[in-house]
Amino acid sequence: MYIEHITLTHYRNYPSLTLEFDPKVNVIIGENAQGKTNLMEAIYVLAFTKSYRTSKDKELVMWDESYAKIEGTVFKRNYHIPMEMQFQSKGKTAKLNHLEQKRLSHYIGALNVVMFAPEDLNLVKGSPQVRRRFIDMEIGQVKPVYIYHLGQYQKILKQRNHLLKDLQRRKTTDITMLEVLTDQLITHASEILIRRFLFLDLLLKWARPIHQGITQNKETLTIDYDTSIEVEKTAPIETIKQIYQETFKHNQQKEIDRGTTLYGPHRDDLIFYVNGRNVQTFGSQGQQRTTALSLKLAEIELIKNEVGEYPVLLLDDVLSELDRHRQSHLLNTIKDKVQTFVTTTSVNDIEHQTIQTATIFHVDNGQVICEERREH
Amino acid sequence: MYYPEPISKLIDSFTKLPGIGPKTAVRLAFFVLNMKEDDVLDFAKALVNAKRELTHCSVCGHITDQDPCQICSDHTRDDALICVVQDPKDVIAMEKMREFNGRYHVLHGAISPMDGIGPEDINVPDLIKRLKDDKVEELILATNPNVEGEATAMYISRLVKPSGIKITRIAHGLPMGGDLEYADEVTLSKALEGRREL
Repeated sequence: MYIEHITLTHYRNYPSLTLEFDPKVNVIIGENAQGKTNLMEAIYVLAFTKSYRTSKDKELVMWDESYAKIEGTVFKRNYHIPMEMQFQSKGKTAKLNHLEQKRLSHYIGALNVVMFAPEDLNLVKGSPQVRRRFIDMEIGQVKPVYIYHLGQYQKILKQRNHLLKDLQRRKTTDITMLEVLTDQLITHASEILIRRFLFLDLLLKWARPIHQGITQNKETLTIDYDTSIEVEKTAPIETIKQIYQETFKHNQQKEIDRGTTLYGPHRDDLIFYVNGRNVQTFGSQGQQRTTALSLKLAEIELIKNEVGEYPVLLLDDVLSELDRHRQSHLLNTIKDKVQTFVTTTSVNDIEHQTIQTATIFHVDNGQVICEERREH
Repeated sequence: MYYPEPISKLIDSFTKLPGIGPKTAVRLAFFVLNMKEDDVLDFAKALVNAKRELTHCSVCGHITDQDPCQICSDHTRDDALICVVQDPKDVIAMEKMREFNGRYHVLHGAISPMDGIGPEDINVPDLIKRLKDDKVEELILATNPNVEGEATAMYISRLVKPSGIKITRIAHGLPMGGDLEYADEVTLSKALEGRREL
């Protein structure tokens, strides 16, 4: 799939802008603080209905304006699909094929986007929260039911934590209610866990050869799902439920003493190993980068496998963060098959052919000029 | 904008109603000014009477002007069946169906630790008292199919299970007369879970 065009109205620093995109590589060049990332963000928002930079939709609307609108057409399976996101003070509306979608889960997934930003290098060395977010976002993109289970899980978790706090402070002694909430929690926890296991298995299958490619067969990547319960990754859902049941039963007093839920997917983490060594603690900066890059590239293949088409790739300021070897590996992977958007301050130091033949956009203080395509 | 005190008080009263914003409140208030005095008096009386003369039934908790309520004092109804609902409006919805001939129990809410609502804050203790009566054979849990309603149903079922009374939960699934293709994924998967052999 690829984005044919995008129109922004009152979006961040763009009062009104229409851009036609190249189905292959689009390079967005500009000095700092001119609006390069705003363009990337707009594409991201069009796909996911929310920004990765802020949780406040209001920030997307240009100063002194009442609304912001992003329109785009996506070419997918031989169809031109119009998409539209509009943000007002009342809230946001998402339109697919000109029809408003009341449920965002019906909208998300029409345009698949994989984003690689400098923050993503944190995937390996950052907090567990970053890795959980990564895995939740990716599964949600291909499996809408996962979003439902996650939402229910978080609601029940909140209720359960409140009750545990009340029990801790002896405001109540109602163990039956705790058992009820535990049962509810387990139902969704097991659904989440089993889907995460499946996803990681697939992800590793794609990531390992990519990783080997980048490291010229010197390193082998392994991903471990670190969970607070003792469970086989191939266990059926009934077994997972039973193990959760036993864990919660066994640790009931401990949870009451601490006043919070100590087990479940919200406490789990991913651990990456290269040649059997934990990359987060023992890996070099370069190894951490390679791991993050392999995971992102694997994601592209995974979505292609699930959805049937390659997603759109957004590379925000990352080319400059990678050395020449990793750069060319990345560019070879996307070559001719993945529509890619790259932001950078300059293309002069990138010699790769993919960039040399790309369509270039110059961004200067909210003005975007498309450069004539250079000779091949 | 400055309003004379009587009308600004009226506007303020209308804003307390659900679904009424400041603009609608102004519109309603000015409408009242143009109404006939008799109509306004009837309206005011109706408001006060609804509040004063209606109480909650001491047996089931439904709203009523006599205690016990009409449903509870109806001898033709089946004492063996009690349907537990969250809200008086749910009783009215069930009654519209004219299919259910048992008794009701209105909880007035659902358990939600987050909002500080425990089992004793909704009508659960009274329900347990009612169940001590040997006549009850089945308890139908008809709380809403969301997280809190589900938790409340599970909670009551745990409390009552040991007494040996049959406990059932209303089914979730597709609305009648609807189309399969319009159902959302979650409702569909619930409907699939609850499928029956024909």
